[in-house]
Formats: sequence, C-alpha cells, structure tokens
Amino acid sequence: MNELLIYSVLNILAVILISPFFMGVIKKIKAWCQGREGQPLLQQYYNLIKLLRKESVVSSTSSWITRATPYVNVAALITAALFVPVLFVPSGSTLFGNLILMLYLLALAKFFMALAGLDAGSTFGGMGSSREMAFSAILEPVIIIIFLALAFMFKTPNLFEIFRQASAVGILYAKPLLILLMVSLFIVLIAETSRVPVDNPETHLELTMIHEGMVLEQSGKYLGMMELSHAMKQTLLMAVLINILVPIGFSTALSFYSIAISFAAFMAKGTALAAVIGIFESSIAKLRLFRLPVMFMVAFFLAFLTIILEVYG
Amino acid sequence: MMLLSILVGVSAILLIIFLRSNKSINLVSLLHALYYAGLSIYQMYAGSLPQYYLENKYFFIDSLGIYELLIASVIFFLSILYLEGYIKSLVEHEELNPKFVKLFYICMNLLLMSVAFSFFSNNLALFWIFLELTTIFSAILIVILNAVENIYAALKYLFIASTCMLFSFVGLILLYAFTKHNFGAGTLNWSELMSSASLITPRIAAYSFMFIFIGFGAKAAIAPFHTWVPHAHSKAPSAVSAILSAVILNVGIYGIIRTFAVVRQTSSGQIASNMLIIFGFFTLGIASLSMLQQKNVKKLIAFSSIEHMGTILIAIGLATKASVFWVLIYIMASALAKSLLFLCAGIANRQYMSNDIDSVRNFIKLQPLASVGIIVGVLAISGLPPFALFMPKLLVLIQISKFSVLMLIIALLSILISTGSFALFFTKFFSSVDEASSIHKYNTPAKMKASIIILIILLALLGIFLPDRLADIAGNIVAELKI
Amino acid sequence: MMPPLALPEINKILLVLILFLAVLIITVKDLLFLNFLYRIQSFFIVLVSLALYAPDRKTSLLAVASITLLSKVIIIPSIIKNAQNKLKIKRDVEFHYLTPISSILVSIAVFFAVYLSFSRLITELPDKTFLITGSLSVSLMFMGMIIIFTRQQTITNIIGFLTIENGVLLFSLFMAELPLIVEVLILLDLVMLIVLASLLAFGIDSNIEEFHKKLQPLSKFLGGQK
Repeated sequence: MNELLIYSVLNILAVILISPFFMGVIKKIKAWCQGREGQPLLQQYYNLIKLLRKESVVSSTSSWITRATPYVNVAALITAALFVPVLFVPSGSTLFGNLILMLYLLALAKFFMALAGLDAGSTFGGMGSSREMAFSAILEPVIIIIFLALAFMFKTPNLFEIFRQASAVGILYAKPLLILLMVSLFIVLIAETSRVPVDNPETHLELTMIHEGMVLEQSGKYLGMMELSHAMKQTLLMAVLINILVPIGFSTALSFYSIAISFAAFMAKGTALAAVIGIFESSIAKLRLFRLPVMFMVAFFLAFLTIILEVYG
Repeated sequence: MMLLSILVGVSAILLIIFLRSNKSINLVSLLHALYYAGLSIYQMYAGSLPQYYLENKYFFIDSLGIYELLIASVIFFLSILYLEGYIKSLVEHEELNPKFVKLFYICMNLLLMSVAFSFFSNNLALFWIFLELTTIFSAILIVILNAVENIYAALKYLFIASTCMLFSFVGLILLYAFTKHNFGAGTLNWSELMSSASLITPRIAAYSFMFIFIGFGAKAAIAPFHTWVPHAHSKAPSAVSAILSAVILNVGIYGIIRTFAVVRQTSSGQIASNMLIIFGFFTLGIASLSMLQQKNVKKLIAFSSIEHMGTILIAIGLATKASVFWVLIYIMASALAKSLLFLCAGIANRQYMSNDIDSVRNFIKLQPLASVGIIVGVLAISGLPPFALFMPKLLVLIQISKFSVLMLIIALLSILISTGSFALFFTKFFSSVDEASSIHKYNTPAKMKASIIILIILLALLGIFLPDRLADIAGNIVAELKI
Repeated sequence: MMPPLALPEINKILLVLILFLAVLIITVKDLLFLNFLYRIQSFFIVLVSLALYAPDRKTSLLAVASITLLSKVIIIPSIIKNAQNKLKIKRDVEFHYLTPISSILVSIAVFFAVYLSFSRLITELPDKTFLITGSLSVSLMFMGMIIIFTRQQTITNIIGFLTIENGVLLFSLFMAELPLIVEVLILLDLVMLIVLASLLAFGIDSNIEEFHKKLQPLSKFLGGQK
C-alpha cells in the first residue's frame, strides 16, 4: 500500500512537472527548423505560472460548463496519469492501469473541452468543437483498436503489466510486430495532441485550427489549466510509446537510485521523441481537412493487421 | 517422339524464316499441322496408350490428349489452308503489313506447337506454362492487323487470361504443397495424381480445384471470365478466330476435365461437380441472352461458342459415364461447326470489309458456297440432324433431364434463345437484297473454298456415322478418367 | 545477430508492408512513383525470401531471391520505365477512383474475407503460420485484381498484374518450392508477357504506323522480310 502511495504521488508530480518541458522542447526544435532562436526551454513554465496567477474572465452568456471544464480536464488527466507509469511500476498492483479506463478518461476531458467550445456561442469555438468531434468519431475507434492490439500482444489490458513485460530484455526481438503498432501510436500521438498535419497549434485565427478554437474563450487561470492538461495528455501518450518501444532504464522496483536513473532516462528519451515530433512537424505540410482520415486509416490498417497477425498468426 | 515433334516444329519455323514465297510458307505450316494430325491418327490406331516420355514422365500421350490433339490439328490444318487466300486479301486491302506475314505464320506454328505440347504434358505446371504460351501467341496473332481496336482486344485478352491463370497457379502450388505433405514427395504429375488421388486431403482438393478452375475457366470462356472472348474473336482474322474458338477454348476445357477427374476421386467431388454445373448454367444463360442483340456476325458466333462451353461444362459436371462420353463427341462436333461458321464469316468479311450486318447486301448471290456453309453451320451448331452435333447434344440433354427437370428446362430455354437469335440474325443477313448495289464480287480462292467444303463434309459424315475407333477412344478416355 | 525466433515475425512485418504498398498502388496517380512502389514491393519479397533462407540455408531459396532481385527489382521495372518515357504519360487520372480511405478499407475487408475462407483449412495445415502468410499473399493477389479493374491505363494494369504475380510468388515461397526449372520457365513466360503488354501499351497511345515501326525489330528478329 505504501509503495502504491509513493507511486501515485511520484507519478502525478512527475507528469505535471515534465509536461511543459516537452512542450518547450518541441517549440524550440520547430523554431530551430525555421531558423529562429526560439523561446527559452523553460518558457512554458513561466507562461503557466503567469496564467495560473491571473484572474479568469468568462463570457456572460456562458453557463457553468465553461467554468467546470478546466477542473474536469485537469482532474481527468491527473487520474489518467495514475494509469501510465513514467518512472517505475509498483509491484503487484492491479488497482490502476486499465487501458480502457485510461482512454475514456482522455475522452471525458475531450468531451468537456468540446462542450466548453460550444458553450460561449462564439463562431470559432463552435467550429473547433464540431471539427474535433467529427475527427474523434474516426480517431476514437482507431485508438481503441490500437490499444486493443497492444492488449492482445501482451495478453493483458493492464498498462502496468504491459510495461513490466516490455521492460524485460529483448521485447523487440521477441515481438517485432510492435514496430507497426508503434507507428500507429505515433500517428495517434500526432493527431491527439493537435500537431501539424492534423491541426496547427501555433495559430489562433487560421480556419484550419481545431484545438485552439475550442480553448479560445478560456482565459487566465482556466486557460492555464487547459494548457497544462493538454501538455499532460501529450506526456502520457509519449510515455506509452517510449516505455514500450525503448524500455531501457525503466525501473520495476522502488529504490531511490533506480528511480533517479529512470527519471533521467525518461527525460532523455522523452526529449528525443519530442525532437522527433518537432522535426516531423516542421518537415510536413498541413493536410487538407478531408485528407486527414487517410492518416488515421493508415494507423487503423496497421493496428488491425497486427491484431490478426498476433491473435491468429 | 517428343524430340521428333520439337524437331519438326523447329525445322518448320526455320524453313518459314528462310523461305521467300508466301505459298511455300503456307505449305510448310500445312505440313506441320498435318504432322500432328498424322501422329494422332497413328497413335490412335497403332500406338499403345498411354506412353510416357523422359525419365521423370514430364510428357505422355494418353487417349484424351490424342483425341484433343486430333481435333486441334484438323482445325489448324483447315484454318491454315484457308489462311493463304485470306492473308493475300488482307495484304491487298492494307489491313496487314506484308512485313508481318512471316511473323504471322511463325506465331501460328508456335501456337500449334504450344497447343500440342499442352496436350502432351503430364504435369500440371508444364500444362500451365504451355497454356500461358498459347495466350501469348494468339494475342500476337490478334494484334498483328492494322487496327487500334485489335490492340485493345488483345490487351483485354492478355490481361484477363493471364490474371486468371495466375490464380490457377495458386491452386497448383496448394496442390503441390499438400501432395508433398501427404505423399512424401510433391508432385503435379497427372498420372501420379490420378493413381493416388484418394490421398489428397478433400478440402485441399476442393480449394485448389476452385483456384485452378478460375484460370482454366478463363481460357475456356466460362462466365464471368468470358469477357475477352467476343472482342478477341471478332477482331482477329477469321482463321485465327476459328482456331481461338475451336482449339484454344478446348485446351482450357481439357485442363478442367483433367483436374476434375482428379478431384472427383476425393470426397470433395460433389462440390466440384456442383461448381461446374452452376458455372455451366451461368455461362449458358449469359451467352444466350447476349446473343439476342448482336449486330456483328463474329461476335454472334463467339457468344454461341461461349454458350457451347457452358453446355460442355454442365455435362462434365454431371460426371456420369454417358455424359462424359457424349461430351467428348460434343467437343469435336462443336469445334467443327464453330470453325465452319467462322471461316464463312471470314468470307463475308472479305466481301464487305466489315463484320457488321448493316453492310451485308446480296450475300447468297455473291457468295453461294459461303451461304451454304453458313446455313449448314447454323443447322449443325443448333444441333439439328443430320449433322454431327445432333446426337451428342440430344444425349447430353437426356443426361441433364435425368439429373433434374428444372435444369433441362433452363438448358432448353437457353438453346431456344440462341437458336432463335441465329435464325433472326441470318434471316436478316440473307434477306438484305439490293439489286441496284454495285458491290464487286470477292473471288474466293479455291483453297478457302476447299476448307469450307471439307468442314461441311466432315460435319455431315460424322453426323451419319461415328467411326468405331473414335468411339473406342472416347470410351477409353472415360475409363482413364475413372468416371 | 538476431535470435532465429524473430525471423517469422519479421516476415510478418514485411508482409504487412507489402500489402500496404499494394494499397498505395491502388490510389497513387503518378506513374513513375507507381513503378517505384512496385520496385520496393519486389524488393521486400527478396527480403522475405532471404529471411526464409536464413534458418535452413536452402540454396533454392537463395536462387529465388536472386532471380527475383534480377528480374523484378531491376529488369521489369526498367522495361516499364522505358515504355513510360517513350509514352510521355506521367499521370494516370482517368480511372474509377478508389479513394485512399476506401482502398484501405477494401484491402482490410479483402484480407479478412480471404483469411476467413482460409481458416476453414486450419485442421489440414501442417504449419499454422501459413494461415496468415497464405491469406496475406492471396489477398495481395486480389488487391492486384482490384487495380486491374479500377484503373484504365495499360501501364497501371501491367503493374496490377505484376502485383498479382508478386502475390503468387509469396504464396509459393511460404507454401512449397516448386522445382527450380519450373520457376524459371514461369518467370521467362511472364517476362515475355510483360514485354508484349508494354509494347501493346505503346501501340494504344501512339498511332498505328509508329507502333508497327516498333514491332519491326521483333519481326526482323524472327526473320521477317525487309
């Protein structure tokens, strides 16, 4: 029990603290790719602290949903953070870690975000929400299929168990099919965190925007909470990818040194992945809205075949 | 003997390359066809069948192969006889580049060789290769004329036939793998497969038959893989159309008969039978309905040959001794009737430079022999007495009626429709008389006339009496196939 | 060196990629890119046969790999490329267009259908992994057929045909090796077919005199009159 408690505190803290850093890394890489100096790496932290100190202004036509959404988002993401170990896996616990529940927590956050986009009645918010929901209708089944494939592959729906198995040596040797799955997962990561071929996180006023449209009405503290939950979501998905694909240094036992090593390894791998995402984003053009489902379908194709190959092969 | 055949073929081709005049080239090709006819007749009367060649028994001669070879070589002989005058007219009207006459004859000889060797091969994979070669050479024969439509027709033929053939190759691999698994050593030898067919896993037999059927069925013009047939047959030079419909389609049917005989001995035989019957009726229905609206003589005949293929398939699917016996006679008779019709249509084509019915005027007056040929051909192909197709058609229908009355009704209905459309078409064809028209008469060369006359005589003779030896051979085949 | 256990798994990955390339071939418009995709697909097949070769070192597999490399990765694509350059057609736009999404869905459906029908064989199979590899290669064949049906350009049809042929090759690799001589004969046969088809493709897209000029070397080769 004690171990689980330590795990919970450590994991949530780690996710909250690391998330803005990865955001900063991606921004920095993109800036470099565009030939700019870019903001300092820690700028995201300054932004968040500043936003969280500020007062929120809420439209007078909006209802309680606009006010509740930031809390729901942060709460859902913190709970989800319990399900994805980033530093170490506590032994013998099955309380947390169910894949399906984790996905639905993310979906809950998304649902409230879309509602909040509609709530104030502004045009951009409504447009962002409707787009987000339209894509989710295609993306959600794909995500479910991918995680199901993961569950089939490791014969368990529990992320803790999956990570524990993955950290055993030579997982890629034993199950090279994981590579296909990880490609799909990368596509989902890009789509879910509203990155370039799908969405453009940089701008507020382009007609293509999805995510930024929905949070347009939020301000001050609320906006800070929304941004934090967005960054956390990205970290969680990255953690799934990293801890399965390159589990080197990931700890399965609780001790100070191993956690320190694990933390350092995770930071390094996460930074590398963030750099990859940044380069990917800079090297690709925004896709036309109607071409987007193709990308999701590729992920679906790979995940579906992986399931069949894994279950029946 | 294989060596002799190769030697004859190669020397024929070499002679064609070195000879100058078209007449002598034609003569060489004629002799080449005659060689196979003589060979098959000799083997029928004097040879002890089956004979195996090469140590690993890749080649053999058995009753079915020799019977089919006889039909094929007779058709080849008559078509090549017909070809000389036809090619001359093609060259005169600039439909064929004189440079390509040699190429034409070379491909013809290669086609003859590949057909003969497909009958000789005792191995499914070898048979597959020769069947594929027939596609290539006949496609060249189609494309050689100066018309873009011919290229389209040939491409369609190539793509459909070889795509389906690839599927049948999958069936071969499946069969090979499982004979390897069940017999110890993989084999695609027909004689070995026949003797130990009961060892093949029934379900595998059914699957591989399904795949093999796709490819051979496409070559045999079985619906829904028949779509290349009307285009290829109508665009090709008439002698080539005759060969395509009377020989090449038969090679496909031959492959189906062989594989069916193997599969029938496993417990999946019933599935294969049902499959053949269903596809047969489908083909019959589609072909007879497509005949109604035809404006093009050769397309009409092409659809009629598809329809016959349907009937043949049904009769094979019934798989009784009588139905298989009569289907063999049926194959021979329909091959003669179809080639007669195509050759006569070729004369009409030379007369009017078109296959379209609207261009026909005063046909009886201009081409009396071809008119007689067409009338005889239509009567024969509709299965009327006293021509060769009457008996086999009647007996096949009787066999069908024993199986199910409903099937008989459907078959009769389709035959009625196709005969009706023939009647409709040729009534219009012969009755379009225009005294004022000033079409020059096309002087049909004697050799073209000769081949038509021979075909008429053969059809009539075989209708009156069937040589004992042929009947014996057909009986032997039924026994060999273990029906 | 990888443990031998992982080799079949790597083959599975290659097979999935091969199928994915077929999906691309259905929808891509640029003809040169199409040819390039075919080349890659064939190259993957070479890799598959090498991966099959690695554990038991059967020379016949090595032979198949090298023949495939020579004919399908080098010779046939360059024949097609040659034809394309002469034709000056860069894009294939006039076809019953299967959108990328529908082609992906169709391919999944095809695979699933083939898989289900093959799964009835499962009690007969000596080796269970064949169920997957066999149905993947047969569905590759059906994908090739879809290419032939949905697209009109002759060059594209040829590539569709070659895709089917790749499926057959894969099937034979996993199922059983035929005697090598038969394989070689079949390959020769196919090369003839491709040459003929690309010649005909040239015939359609140029006028008839040019086509016959093109045909002339063939006729000369066979001893035609000058």
